[in-house]
Order: sequence, then structure tokens, then C-alpha cells
Amino acid sequence: MFLQTINEYFRTDGRQLAQVFCTVFSFLAPALGILILWRCVKPLLRFRREPETWAWLVMPDGQQLPVTHWENIIGRSKGCDIIVNLSTVSRNHAVLTRYDDGSWSITEIGSRGAVSVNGEQVAVCALHYGDVISLGGVEMVLAPTTAEEVEEQKYYRTRPAAMASPGLTLFLLTVFQLLTALQFLMSSKPEKVLWSVGGVLALCALGWLLFLTLKIMRRSSFEVETLAFFISTLGLAVIASSDAASIPKQLVCIAGGVVIYLLLGWSLRDLSRAKRFRYIAAVAGLALLAANLVLGREINGAKNWIAIGSMSFQPSELVKLCFIYVGASTMDRIVTKRNLFSFIVYSGAICGCLALMNDFGTALIFFAALVVICLMRGGSFSAISLLATLAVCAAMLLLVIDIPPHVLRRFSTWGHAWDDPLGGGYDQVKSMMCIASGGLFGLGAGNGMFTHYVMAADTDYVFAFVCEEWGLIVGILPILAIIALGVFVARSASVGRSSFYTIGACAAVAIMMTQTILNVFGTMDLLPMTGVTFPFLSNGGSSMLASWGLLAFIKAADTRQDASFAVRTVRSEEVEQYE
Amino acid sequence: MSKLARRAWFAYFLAAAMLAGLIVILVRYAVGAEDWMPFQNSGMVVDRSGTMLMDNTDGKSELADNATVRAAMLHILGDTQGYISPYLLNEYGDEMSGYDRITGTRHAGNSYGKMQLTVSAYAQEAAVYAFGGQKGTIGVYNYKTGEILCMVSSPTYDPRNVPDVAGNPDAYEGVYVNRFLHSAYAPGSTFKLVTAAAALEELDGVENRTFHCDGSALIGDEVVICNAVHGDISFNEALCRSCNVAFATIAQELGAEKLSQYADAFGVGKSLAFDGFITKKGNFDLSDATTFEAAWAGVGQYTDQINPCQYMTFMGAIANGGEAALPYLVERVSFGGQEQYHAERKTGGRILDQKTADELAEMMHYNVVNNYGEWYFSGLYAGAKSGTAERGEGQTPNALLAGFVRDEDYPLAFVVIVEGGGAGSTACTPIIRQVLDACIVAMN
Repeated sequence: MFLQTINEYFRTDGRQLAQVFCTVFSFLAPALGILILWRCVKPLLRFRREPETWAWLVMPDGQQLPVTHWENIIGRSKGCDIIVNLSTVSRNHAVLTRYDDGSWSITEIGSRGAVSVNGEQVAVCALHYGDVISLGGVEMVLAPTTAEEVEEQKYYRTRPAAMASPGLTLFLLTVFQLLTALQFLMSSKPEKVLWSVGGVLALCALGWLLFLTLKIMRRSSFEVETLAFFISTLGLAVIASSDAASIPKQLVCIAGGVVIYLLLGWSLRDLSRAKRFRYIAAVAGLALLAANLVLGREINGAKNWIAIGSMSFQPSELVKLCFIYVGASTMDRIVTKRNLFSFIVYSGAICGCLALMNDFGTALIFFAALVVICLMRGGSFSAISLLATLAVCAAMLLLVIDIPPHVLRRFSTWGHAWDDPLGGGYDQVKSMMCIASGGLFGLGAGNGMFTHYVMAADTDYVFAFVCEEWGLIVGILPILAIIALGVFVARSASVGRSSFYTIGACAAVAIMMTQTILNVFGTMDLLPMTGVTFPFLSNGGSSMLASWGLLAFIKAADTRQDASFAVRTVRSEEVEQYE
Repeated sequence: MSKLARRAWFAYFLAAAMLAGLIVILVRYAVGAEDWMPFQNSGMVVDRSGTMLMDNTDGKSELADNATVRAAMLHILGDTQGYISPYLLNEYGDEMSGYDRITGTRHAGNSYGKMQLTVSAYAQEAAVYAFGGQKGTIGVYNYKTGEILCMVSSPTYDPRNVPDVAGNPDAYEGVYVNRFLHSAYAPGSTFKLVTAAAALEELDGVENRTFHCDGSALIGDEVVICNAVHGDISFNEALCRSCNVAFATIAQELGAEKLSQYADAFGVGKSLAFDGFITKKGNFDLSDATTFEAAWAGVGQYTDQINPCQYMTFMGAIANGGEAALPYLVERVSFGGQEQYHAERKTGGRILDQKTADELAEMMHYNVVNNYGEWYFSGLYAGAKSGTAERGEGQTPNALLAGFVRDEDYPLAFVVIVEGGGAGSTACTPIIRQVLDACIVAMN
């Protein structure tokens, strides 16, 4: 093999050269990584949150109120999207909803005070531009935005996106990947060369393929995808070092993840389609877990694996996506069907299944998502804290009745890893040792010892793995990337179109952040080790598929002009059509 | 939607939690990353004269040539099965691997670490021979510098030739414990030194008083039994003959509070920490003691416990005029020829007046001359106090001997304990004789 011949040279005569390259790259990698992260994160954190105006409400006095979301609560209270401060109007009176096709409807929600359209009292009613809506006697007219206004908005909303060229950022990532491949070419063991080098190059190609696909769809932003590919590159490098034979599997799963990402994005693009998908997702989620319970195999104490032939996968990872789909909801539903009962029952069923599987970490993640979804759907804080208390009690009860020994062991050593370095604290102590050993710049990809010490080195303790081989600086970049995603979702919530998207994105990012917290802090003994994966970074196919799926939900909340393929562009003609 | 947007703040909250955790991790790294570096199984360890004790350089994995030395070093260097942690090697793991926080261990290349200990392989070997398989422990250190010349815990075994420990629970009872550092023993009469020191400082003219011993005495509402009927006996003689009645009387006069205060000052209930080791705490707790029990504790009974290493430091303070260096084991660590660590003399501070220390030392010397014989102590000016601590029905008591050599060239303090050794001086003096001789050879 050609690659092996080169590898042979660098391992013998060219050894000096390989060492020089390794040293140079160890300093270059953090620099490149920081640059890539900065270029991706900056637009996410600094984009101008210009509200989109979808229509106007013309008040009796001629005042025009902008309608800035697809779902707007009209009422007297300060929390409303369109505030009509008159005593005859209820605190929350009605929801004004826009649909994908540009049509509108109004739904009455107030306990007192009726809604009438063109003089007729209604509960729900399709609206046309020019219709006179009367809320508690206040009459207002729905008016369309003009083409100029649309263009003007586009101009303002495109400007910040032009700050960083996503192509250039991806090119920097490509440089990073090529150097990584070169590092493997020079220093990995002969039998690993092919997959290590080939894997990184294939990942690079996949990145450009997705980039070009989105470019063809005329979507301009690629920041969150670049972040995902950056973390995936580190993850692939970890696998090349720990278990090169599973690189093909991981690559297939990254590709599969991208497909899921595109499919989910497509399904989310059309809100009415998305709402239909909810039911499929609900059934699929429960079916997956039920299948898991029946067919599941126990690996490392948790019965959350299904084996198909020689492949094994964790259905609970994919259930995360179904769970978010079920949890997300549009505003008219949220305000009319106030209670979360059915959703909580659904969540209870899922968490119960996970408890039966002894999968404590995943149950925790679902619980975090559940709390976030309830919070977003307007649950009061007291209700949510009640929910949290109940869950904690249930968990305690389960633990008291039947404490899985592996969970108990993790809790008993938590915070005291150094008191028992050869027993319960072994993994954490070895993690910290390897992090220290790596220093700021790492020992070089493929040169670490961590994988020889700890069993789940490339999954549960992957943070330590990256730190040892790539150094602490590169090691914290994936964490910062996930933090950036969280801040981005929080920021874009204020200009969200539909609560469906906002809730979906919030739940998705909450899952990602919770996983990262449990994974990294568990490794560092700040929290008990729960054995959950680090999104995109950990070795694991199901986790990779789920991570890309979560990313689709985040992307769907990206309302920057032409940024997201998961968001349909509103063309000027469409507006004119209704004028 | 605007309510929704406000609630999305939870994401900021999670982000802040992540950042906070990240900062904690980075601070811990910045402050103590080198403490995360245990011994990497690479490098070399030598004794005070350069004799190889462990050599893991260039892919080797060797221990001392002499099997007895290997056994003697077991509790210091650890075993290979993970039963005895190499605390000392782990403590200097970063220095031994040339670690630094910026570059980690990558620059190490082919260099290796070298650690020089203060112990003498010769004295270690002598100690194992002297114990001859008896259980117990011995430690000898230089109270002027703090160097530990000998520290052996018995039973022990050659890590290159691991015996059937599980199959011989009696012979290898507690073999994985370093008895010198990680055990606490009932002190028996050796504790009378604490009471004597307190009396010299607190009871004016105690050195000129005469006590009366009828073989027993009523203290509080219980009877103190003595080892003999001593009749009228001076303070000096009382220590020499280990008169329980005299010392119970003195302890009663001092009272629980003063006794506790002095025991505390002498470190009886405290730990010593050096070179990654933390010694076990002894015990002197009179909080619930009756008058009798407090007096009984002053004789070294009741719930008293001492840690051998800590008590050896107390002996050093008596010999050195009231203040002694704290013990240590690692003299220096270098990496690739560059010095990474060099031991400094540390002192535990003054715990006795010079006058008290000198008087007590003189009394202990009187004890040696009259009871044990100076020839057991290499013919040097030595002081010591033996003890016999009951272990319970049907068991031979533990024998203890604590003392010092007061000599310009050989300032040594020691503690010897032989479990089930019977009478203190008989079991311990032959051992200390051999080990002191070896230490003196090692210091020349």
C-alpha cells in the first residue's frame, strides 16, 4: 500500500521529520482550532436580532402594530407579543397565527371577552388581509407587509451574516483535517494508517458535500455544521487512536447523522408537516424503547443496547429526537390546551422504560429535556419544581428498592476519587493524570496512553482522551462550542417564528448541554460519572446519529436570512400573492 | 412568544453552569496539575549512599539486588500488585517525569528521573534481620536534619518472590500496612515521658520530690497497680523503675486538662505529613475520663495510643533541647541531571524548654545506664524508655522502646515496637543495637 510505504518511511528514516512535524502541529492545532471556533461562534453570538415583521395590525387610531412572529399572543398583559392595553381586552385574549403558506388565523383564548371577525363571533377563524378583528370591542385590521418592507428587512438581516465567510471557515477546518491526516500518516501504527488517514479525509469530503448541498439550496450559513464537523474530527482522531477498526462504522454513522439532519430539517421546514410528524415520532419513540426492553442486552450494567448481527446500537439515543418532536408545540395549542398532562404521562412512560433498563444517565438527560419543555410550554415554576421533586423522589425510591451496583459505586466515590485511586476513583484519577500528562498542547494524536488505562476511554472519558493527545486548549474547544450553541439558541428565541421551533431548539440544546456537563464533569469528578456521551465527540454510532438530529432542531430555530435550510425562505411573490 | 423567549434564559443558565465548571477545571489544573501525575514507572531510586533500590530506566524494571533490602523497602516503594501504594513515588511523580504544566510530559524524551532517599539500604537490611520475622516496626532518624535512616515494618516480603499471604493469615497479619507510619499502638510506660515532661514544666521542684509506692494506690475510686513495691522513690528513680503509683500521682496532680495540653503539644493526637505520607493519628482523649482514668492515662494506659513516627519526633525533641527537625524520606529528585526537588529542614517548633528537655534526657540516660546497658547503644550517650503494653487476655504484650542517641556526629532518635515481644527492654534492645550500629556505619 502506498500509504503504508510512506508511513514506513516516517517511522524509520524520516523519524526526525515526523517528530518535528508532530511538535509543530501540536502548537498549530490549538491555534487553528481557536480560529475555527471563533469564526463559527462569532456570528452565532453577535447576529443582530432584527425582528421579522410578517404583517401589521392597524388599530382604530391608525397606529400600526408590527406582527413579529408566526405565533403571537394578543392581550393586555405585558407578556403578550401584541399588547393592546385596554380594559375590555383580556390579559391573554387571542393567538394570531401565520402558516407556512402565508395564510393567517385567529384563535380565541381569553376567559372573558370574545373575538369576532368581520362582525361574527368566532372561536377559530381563518383570516385574510383586510379582515376586521374585534377583541373586546377594539377593532383592528390585519394588513400585509409591502414588498419594499420585505426587501429592507432582508437587507438588515443579511448584513451580519456576511461577517464571516462560512466557506473560508470550512477551508480552515479542512487544513486542520489535512494536518491531522498527515500526523496519522507519519506516526500511526502500520495497520492503522489506512483507516486513520482515510477516515479523516472522508470526513473532510463529507463536510464539503454537505456544504455544497446547502449552497445549492442557497443557504448561506454553515457555522453550526462546521462546529459539528470540527468536534467530529477530534472524535474520529480519538477513535483512530483507541479503536481504529471502528472508524468505518463511525464514518457511516456520521454520514447517517447528516442524512437524519437533512431529513429532520426537511420535516421541520413545513410546520403543518412537522405537526403531522409528531404522532409518528410519539409512536416511534415508545416502539423503540419497547423493542429495547424486549430485545435489549446488558452492556456495562445498563440494558440499553440492541444487537443486530455484529452491530449494536442504543435506541434510547434516537428516542431523544422523538421526545423533542412530541414535546414541541405550536402556540395556539399551548394556550388552548394548557395542561401538560398527556406529555407528562408520555415522559413518564419513557423514563420508566429507561429506569427498567438501568440507564441512569440517559434518564437524567430525558428528565432535563422534560423540564425544559415544560418550562417552555408555560408551566408555572411551582408546577415544574413539583415535577422535579416528584422525579427526585421516584428516583430515590427506585434506588432504595434496587440500587444498581454500578450506580451506587459511582455515587459513593463521587468527589473523593483521589481517596481511592485504585478502586472506585480509578477512572477519574487516570483521567486527571492523562490530562496533566498532555499539558496544554498534548502528546500528539495517537501518542496517548489513556486508552490503555480506562475502559470507556473514548466515550465516557473522552474529554480526558482529547486533552491527553491534543492538549487542554484543544480539549476545551468542544465544550466552548456546545456553550456557544446554547447561547445561540437563547438569543434566537426572541426572534423565533413558531414556538414549535423555539421549544424544539431549546430542548435539543438542553440535551446537548446536559450531556456535555455530565460527561466532562463526570470525568473530572465534579459530578458522579453517569456514562453519557459527549455530543459528536464520543465513540458511538447511535450517539452520533442523535447528535446530528439534535442539530437539526437547533438549525430550525436559526431565523437569520437564508441561513437555515430547515427554514423556508419567504419570497416576495408570496407576499404579493396575498395583497 | 415573548414569554417563551424569556424562558429561553435557561440556556444562558446552563451555559453559565458549564462555564463555571470549566473554570473550576482550569483552576484545578493551574493550581495542582502536577499532583495529578502519579509515578510513571520510570526512573531510578537510590538510597543515601547511592545503592540502587529501584531502576526503571531504559525499559528496565529492577529492584535492589539483595532480597532482604527489597523486603525492607516494600512499604516505602510499594508492591507490584497494588496492595501497598507507593505514596512516596506518586508524590514525586511529576518531578520524576520532568513534568511541567505547559508541555505536560512530551518533552521528556529519553531523560529519566532519579530519586535519592535518606534511608540506608544497609540499615534497612539490618533491621529486617534484627526483627527475624517478628511483627513490629522500627524507625531511626536524625533529629537535627530530619533524615530517616531506617524505617522498616515487619512482617514484610520480597516483592520479587511474593509469598502466599492469604494462605498464612497469621504470619502475614497486616503485611500490607506500613506499621511505622500507618499504625497506632498502646504506648505502655513509654508514655510516662509525656507525663514526666509535663511534670517538669508544671510542677515546681518535682525533680526533688520523693513519692511513696506500696505496690498499689487508690486514685479517685479505683486502685492503680504497680509492677513492684517501690517504697520511697525519687522522681528520677520513678521513671527508671517505671513506677505506676508515682506517675499516677503526678498525673493526678497535673490534671486531665494539663495532661491533654501537653500530649497535644507533643503531637500525640496529630498527623505528620511528609513525602506523600500522612501518619496515623495517635489518641489521647480525656474528655469523658474519671479522675482515675485520667491518672491511668498519664501512666500510658486507658485509651492512649501513639503513632511510632510521631513519637520518634518527640524523642528527637527531647534529645535536641526541646525542638527537633521533622522526619522525611526523600533527599532529592532530579530529572535528566537537573535538580527538581531538594529536601529542606523543617521543624515542628519548640515543644519543651531547653531545661526540661535536658533534665528529661538526663533521666532517660540514667535509665539506659541502670536498666539496659550502654553497650546496646553503640557505647554512645543514649537515653531511652521502654514500655510493655497489654494486648488482652492470653496474648503476650507488645514491647516498646523509645529513645535517642545524643551525639554531635550521630544525633539519632528511634522507636522500636515488637508485637507480642513481652517485656519492653528485653525484646527491643537487641534490635536497636543492630540497627543503631548499621545507621552509624551508614553515616560514616
